[in-house]
Amino acid sequence: MKSELAIKITKVKEVKRHTKKVLKGNTAAAEAAKICKATFISAYPITPQTTIIEEIASMISKGEFDAVSVNMESEHSVFAAIKGAALVGERVFTATSGQGLLYAHEVLHAIAHLRLPVVACNVGRPSYPWNIWCDQSDSLAQRDTGWIQIYCENSQDVLDTLIQAYKISEKLLFPTLVVLDAFYVSHTNENVYIPEQKLVDEYLPPRMVSDTDIDIDHPKAFGGLVAPELYDKFNRLFWQDMNKVEDAFNIVGAEFETHFGRSYGAIEAVNIHAGTKKILITLSSITTTARGVLQSNPDVGLLKIRLMKPFPKKSILKVLEKVNKDCILIAIDRNYLGDNEGALMQEIKRAMYGGSRKIFGVYAGLGGRDVPPTTIEKIINIDFNSPETEEIIWIDK
Amino acid sequence: MKTESNFLIKEENVFCGALSCRGCGWSLLVRHISNVMGTKTVYVVPACCFSIIAGPYPMNMLKGTVVHTLFAAAAATATGVRHSLDRQGKKKSAVVVLAGDGGTFDIGLQSLSGAAARNENILYICNNNGAYMNTGVQSSTATPMGAITTTNPSGKTSNAKDLMGIIAAHKIPYFATASLAFLDDLKKKLEKAKSLSGFRFLMIDSPCPPGHKYAPEMSIEISRLAVETNYFPLFEAEDGDYEITHFPKKKIAVSELFKQQGRFSHLFKTDATKLMNSYQKEVDTEWEALLEKVEK
Amino acid sequence: MNITGVFEVRGHARGGQGMVTAFDILAKVFSYTKNYEVQAFPFFGVERTGAPIQAFFRFSPEVILNRSNIYSPNLVVVFDEGLIELTNVFDGLAENGIILINTENPPSFYKGRAKNIFTVPATRISVDNKLGSKSLPIVNAAMIGAILKILEAGIDDAKAIIKKEVPNKPDANEAAAEIAYNSVVGLIDSAFTKSATIAKAVAPSYNDLPSVPYWDKPMSLNKTGTWRVLVPGYQNRQAPCTQSCPAGTDVRTFVKLTGENKFSDAYQVIYKHNPFPSICGRVCPHFCQQNCNRIGFDEEVNIGAIERFLGDKNASHQFKRVPILHKEKIAVIGSGPSGLTAGLRLRQQGYEVTVFESMPVAGGMMRTGIPEFRLPGKVLDQEIQKIVDQDVKIVLNKKVSVDELKNDFSAIVVAVGSHIGTNMNLANEEEIIEGIKFLREVKSGENKKAIRKGDDVAVIGGGNTAIDVARTVLRLGGHPIIYYRRTRQEMPAIAHEVEEAMKEGVQIEFLTAPVNIEKNKNGEFRITSVRMKLGEADDSGRRKPIPVKGSERKFTANKIIKATGQTFDDFVFTDKKVAVKQGEIEFVSGKNNVPVFCCGDMAWGGTIVEAIGSGNDVANEVNAFLRKTEYVKTERTNDVVSADQINFTYYLPTPGNSNPFKEVEKLLNDFTEVVQGLPAKTIVEEATRCLHCGDCYNCGNCFNYCPDAAIFIDEENRLRIDYDFCKGCGICVRECPCSAVRYQEENLVVTE
Repeated sequence: MKSELAIKITKVKEVKRHTKKVLKGNTAAAEAAKICKATFISAYPITPQTTIIEEIASMISKGEFDAVSVNMESEHSVFAAIKGAALVGERVFTATSGQGLLYAHEVLHAIAHLRLPVVACNVGRPSYPWNIWCDQSDSLAQRDTGWIQIYCENSQDVLDTLIQAYKISEKLLFPTLVVLDAFYVSHTNENVYIPEQKLVDEYLPPRMVSDTDIDIDHPKAFGGLVAPELYDKFNRLFWQDMNKVEDAFNIVGAEFETHFGRSYGAIEAVNIHAGTKKILITLSSITTTARGVLQSNPDVGLLKIRLMKPFPKKSILKVLEKVNKDCILIAIDRNYLGDNEGALMQEIKRAMYGGSRKIFGVYAGLGGRDVPPTTIEKIINIDFNSPETEEIIWIDK
Repeated sequence: MKTESNFLIKEENVFCGALSCRGCGWSLLVRHISNVMGTKTVYVVPACCFSIIAGPYPMNMLKGTVVHTLFAAAAATATGVRHSLDRQGKKKSAVVVLAGDGGTFDIGLQSLSGAAARNENILYICNNNGAYMNTGVQSSTATPMGAITTTNPSGKTSNAKDLMGIIAAHKIPYFATASLAFLDDLKKKLEKAKSLSGFRFLMIDSPCPPGHKYAPEMSIEISRLAVETNYFPLFEAEDGDYEITHFPKKKIAVSELFKQQGRFSHLFKTDATKLMNSYQKEVDTEWEALLEKVEK
Repeated sequence: MNITGVFEVRGHARGGQGMVTAFDILAKVFSYTKNYEVQAFPFFGVERTGAPIQAFFRFSPEVILNRSNIYSPNLVVVFDEGLIELTNVFDGLAENGIILINTENPPSFYKGRAKNIFTVPATRISVDNKLGSKSLPIVNAAMIGAILKILEAGIDDAKAIIKKEVPNKPDANEAAAEIAYNSVVGLIDSAFTKSATIAKAVAPSYNDLPSVPYWDKPMSLNKTGTWRVLVPGYQNRQAPCTQSCPAGTDVRTFVKLTGENKFSDAYQVIYKHNPFPSICGRVCPHFCQQNCNRIGFDEEVNIGAIERFLGDKNASHQFKRVPILHKEKIAVIGSGPSGLTAGLRLRQQGYEVTVFESMPVAGGMMRTGIPEFRLPGKVLDQEIQKIVDQDVKIVLNKKVSVDELKNDFSAIVVAVGSHIGTNMNLANEEEIIEGIKFLREVKSGENKKAIRKGDDVAVIGGGNTAIDVARTVLRLGGHPIIYYRRTRQEMPAIAHEVEEAMKEGVQIEFLTAPVNIEKNKNGEFRITSVRMKLGEADDSGRRKPIPVKGSERKFTANKIIKATGQTFDDFVFTDKKVAVKQGEIEFVSGKNNVPVFCCGDMAWGGTIVEAIGSGNDVANEVNAFLRKTEYVKTERTNDVVSADQINFTYYLPTPGNSNPFKEVEKLLNDFTEVVQGLPAKTIVEEATRCLHCGDCYNCGNCFNYCPDAAIFIDEENRLRIDYDFCKGCGICVRECPCSAVRYQEENLVVTE
């Protein structure tokens, strides 16, 4: 197990044409916006996202970053502005968090169904009672808006994922929400390898403008009324394209590896083999701690979900093909959406529908509650074979 | 003898077939706006009657680019469009918001204020017909006191918001009122607004036969009466310098305007003197205040 | 009706007619009074007033297990007949299905379209009950009544629900429903066969949809003309000025041309109907001006001044002589305005024309009856000369009769005028001077001593002759007093002439009539007069004067001149009793008969302009007679623009320009013209005051104010309405300043 993790880290170190910097996740996001050459940036301050736009403002004012940045008066307006800018053909970037994302919810639908390749960063925090700490209920509540959602584990992941996000968005014309955990990622300084600009440019050429963007010389209207029959048709087309995202995202990840030397896909499987008895399914920063706990639990595997929307069912089923039927799946949810099951649990159950595998859901770390290795161990040590064990477990420290 | 120059539109920049009611102020307004603005304009339209009038799929009433956007977000979307066009060197293409009173006075006020305060290079035009007409005549904060709407079936009990006051407080380069009965004046103001940069705002008093409850043929006459009674004075302010662009020739009581519209007819079923007197007083006070602003 | 399964009703209406409410009410009726399961729902779309819409109503004694639109209705209800050709109202109607149409037509009108056809005049019923407006009758209550009838559901139980549920006018709605219930007529066409077509939900065929929708097709694919109920249209309507000119002059056009500085064109427009613009410009009462729609706004356009200007300005205009085209020769007896006009018109039509005049000068009453200070002889000479220049022969000093001429001419026009004073039946009447004779003699200079300086002269009458006589008396040094039996209001004299006369010093005693005249030994007249009061209106429309008992008084005068009307000199008919009228008269004279026509003062009218009109008409009649075609008198339209049809918002109140009036200090022996003309600049200014009643003058309003961009300028530079898109809002009608756009009469949609 150790060897697999070690290989990854070694690879990063060996990649050429990168500069190492110690960066927070938020700074990595700002850096990514710059090297992806976003041209229109708009945001509204909200903890714990604020440092992203502060970084960007600073880079722009120093002349390091050539982009237009507009300080809007609300997140609703932020998303409305980037919608307008994207429609004109600009590569746009924004970042928000919690209430801000919830406030912009209406616009998320519009952006998705206008098929705009918008990329936004969300630093996850919950809504109420008032809380500013790590949680994923804000972004997971946006699952049905038609955005691609990718969850990041660390600062390097944030940087790399944003580059891939533009790639996939502009390829399939869907917006992408890149999610990072509040504080555990957003405010954690760590090593980040920043690719040199030319390398990024080779991978991510400037945005191509299409028929579906504004062309002043060929006037059209966008986003008007559509009759029932046609509304149905347009949604069908949307759905057909959404079905292509998982494969395309894996290809984008593979191409990324060719360019930058770091491997990415819709999911990451760690220590999953025929002998694996339990698999922890995680999103973002908890994954790192789980990786650590796995070192001393060789029969426990880890399935990290990077692409949360659309849920990568095909990739997951493929990984689980080699696993024994008795292997138990445990989804760890850092979100509560007013329902019995957490979002990750729901998605996994959906993906596994019709199979006979045992699936459990665990709520852990809501509202920034810390999830140390002991908590992960506690999860692993639950007696899932006991008939007393309930399907959904709210874990304590 | 009048001549051909009386035809204010040389080439239509709208297509016929608009999905507007008979005698609609919106479609008339847009004819004149598009005539001045030209085809290389981007119109940003929040939810309002015009979102429908402009055309269901796959039609576009305007010979120009139209971005339909969310109710609350017209000025914000326009901001994004404006900066992006500028970045692409298309500085000459105007960005024009076409919003109703709901999207301006109410739900869109925040984004309007934001854009005005940032002095975005946008022309914002509010077609004020004094209620949510697209959804079937519900009160907005632009609805005049006393008017019947489906959400104030006994008549609205509060005053209409002084949006021009709010706009003035943003100290933008240009703002003006205009009426569809005074098309030369409207055209001049549109041309002036077009020639300036920064945030510009036009408030149009717009007739609405089904909403205000009168025969469609009366649209222009009622609009004119609103101006002639000083209920809706025509003025403009460039860099804060106010000018009145039409002085009524004779004083007409504001009740004459109200009597023409079914939405006020209940007021006249009993003695409306008291209410009309207070309305008249307010109209007179506002006019005096406007005169004072001009003199400053 | 015995309903066992689910019964489905589909309605077609226009937005605003109340169909959705009607179906809601029907659902309540069927639920509350009959205990049915019901569904009533609209196809919720963009409901704009007038736009075609659909709604559905489903009811059943059992639970309804369907919640979708209706495709195979048992009953189709059409709220607006115009929709039948616009939308597929018959779609999906089963072979034994029923259709109910709101129409004035009988069911047989739609025979062959469905098996069971019912009709009801719901629009008429609704309008009669004051439901809705003419542009959009709200027919829902009436249609509910009709539907209930067809469904054999009875009306009594439904009435209370209708009253409760309609938004307003409960009683009128109840009444309309009941009337409609009893007005449904049906036709069951048992021979009708048709395979039922199932209506499909309309799916636009956009096969290659882009994955991201954008809107780039023109809105003009949507033909909003189908929404129209009232139809505005351009109409060239009659202006009151033109309408009221007895000569038929196109007044509006010549005024318009004058405003455009086109003086020669304007002159020719007048000349077409009136060869005496300079004369009429001075002495015509100008009915055109009296009926000007500007009067209530500020004051009438001074059309007289314009006409006078045009006549004088074009004094040297030369008209082409028309070659002689016909062998028939025509004689005209009398060279007054009607004789000369008739002569000129016939000459212009290619006849050789000879005018016979008994006097040494031509002009008739224009020459002898109108004083020099109103109509200088020079002006008269010019206009008569123009007629002579067009080859109308005038034989002067020749008093002729019809009999004398009958062998030499194919037709004779008698236009001898009225130069013989009428009798007032007073004692000593032979002592009274005839006004018309007085004027003639003064003007010709043959009686220089008619009035002595200082004479008190009583002038009796209220017409122009009385005024002219009085003013002439003034100039001869007399003191005239006019006695008139009515008031100033009823005076037939031209108003400004009366005013001028009074300014000059003429006194007028109104409501006064002489009843007796005696002559005293000093040669003075003692006149007994009586006060009058006005009674009911007589045939002339004026109020009849009635003597006031005991109001007699006496006064003295040196001279009495009467101007109380004239009659014609019957010398022309050689003592034959002839019934004189306008046009051909019966006149038998031995073997060699000749057609005889009359015109002018002797036939009808009494003013120059009427004489001219009479001359125009008689010329046409003579021509028709000689060419053996049917003479049809030009009918005047009755579609005249009235002042209340003018939108005065678009006109600036502008004071008119009156002719300057020469005020002389010493009138004695001054016969120079009193009223002056106006300069060109002022005339143009005055002409531009014209409202252009009923005549589009390109103000741009209809075009500028059209919310639907449905007005365009065609290849011939005329404004047109594009009926594919006009919704019939009527703003163009309302905002047209001059009433050149009006609603057409059609109730249904028409396309050009």
